[in-house]
Amino acid sequence: MMEAILVQIPFGDMVHYLSGYTVLLFAVAALFVVLAIVSLPEKPVDIVFGTDGYTLKEIPKDTMKFQRFMSIACGVATVGAIISGDLFNFTLFAALIGILNIGIVAGVKNRHVLDSAFSYGLVVMMGTVPLFAGAAIAVAATGTLSIWELAGVGAVPLISKLLLLLGVLGEGMAPFYIGKAEITRAPGAPYILMIHVSSLLLFLRVVEILLTV
Amino acid sequence: MNIIQKLAGYFAETDNLPKVYALAVCLVAVIGICMIPAISYDADQLYPKSVDMESPLSPYDRGGVPFEEPAEIVAQYPENAPALGWVTAYLTPASQWMADNTLYLGTTIAAHPGGILDEILYYTRGFDTIVEASILLCAFAIASFLYRRSRT
Repeated sequence: MMEAILVQIPFGDMVHYLSGYTVLLFAVAALFVVLAIVSLPEKPVDIVFGTDGYTLKEIPKDTMKFQRFMSIACGVATVGAIISGDLFNFTLFAALIGILNIGIVAGVKNRHVLDSAFSYGLVVMMGTVPLFAGAAIAVAATGTLSIWELAGVGAVPLISKLLLLLGVLGEGMAPFYIGKAEITRAPGAPYILMIHVSSLLLFLRVVEILLTV
Repeated sequence: MNIIQKLAGYFAETDNLPKVYALAVCLVAVIGICMIPAISYDADQLYPKSVDMESPLSPYDRGGVPFEEPAEIVAQYPENAPALGWVTAYLTPASQWMADNTLYLGTTIAAHPGGILDEILYYTRGFDTIVEASILLCAFAIASFLYRRSRT
């Protein structure tokens, strides 16, 4: 059914790349988009030391709305990166995922979290350079960007693959910062998961592309 | 402290990770420069780019006559692009007048109504343009959210 829909939408040279592998990744990404839509933010509990008392942190509504929008958009961008059958389109979606991950991290009002969001932003800005350089070298050396056309030919130069891998590494570096900032326990917890999901799926997809072209 | 502990301590500082990443980018860039002789340019490009400075439509001149002759555009999947070449060839009467009288219509592509709708940008690779605009939209959404939060 999905293939029929994707064929019906006229995207010109932007065709889908559905294999058993990408369909599986697509299902995971779609599942997490649905989870981001239906879930409510977690309220962290702080125990007051030495007593039975506890405090419940309230999540401001505008922060919640912003993070929810960012995580849903990130999930949609992940879906796009997974089913895209075009090398340049894939790099664009990877850049979009990087920007949206910054948005999710930056939504939390906490000094340490914002510090690491800043560092992550620097890495994402640097990561776009090798990412687009890889796609540019691929199109210059082969004359086309369609993964279907490039599949199995092995015409893409090694340096282009290296640059693509390095670029995706930069865009998907968010989880390293997440661990540092303990953001999974910061306010707005369920939406943060989308960072991990998108980075993981992006890595899995780029490995598939690099083995195919 | 052994070397792994030192490395772990270094990577634990988030401020250090951009430095490490920048070093990796430089390393791969140097490798890439060394590998330039091994890369050959493929002359059979799907999206060719040639600039004819004499043409008033430069750098978007892809040929064609409005309603009579489609422009020469190659698509990877022509079955997905039934109107290939007809949109790029079209100019509004005002644009046609400007093209006939000046040399600079191609540089005013966004500055006047009508003008050239480049088919590679907006038709065969149109989805790329949509995603690019989405990246800008998301960047502005984040910037405006942070700005408004800093004001309160």
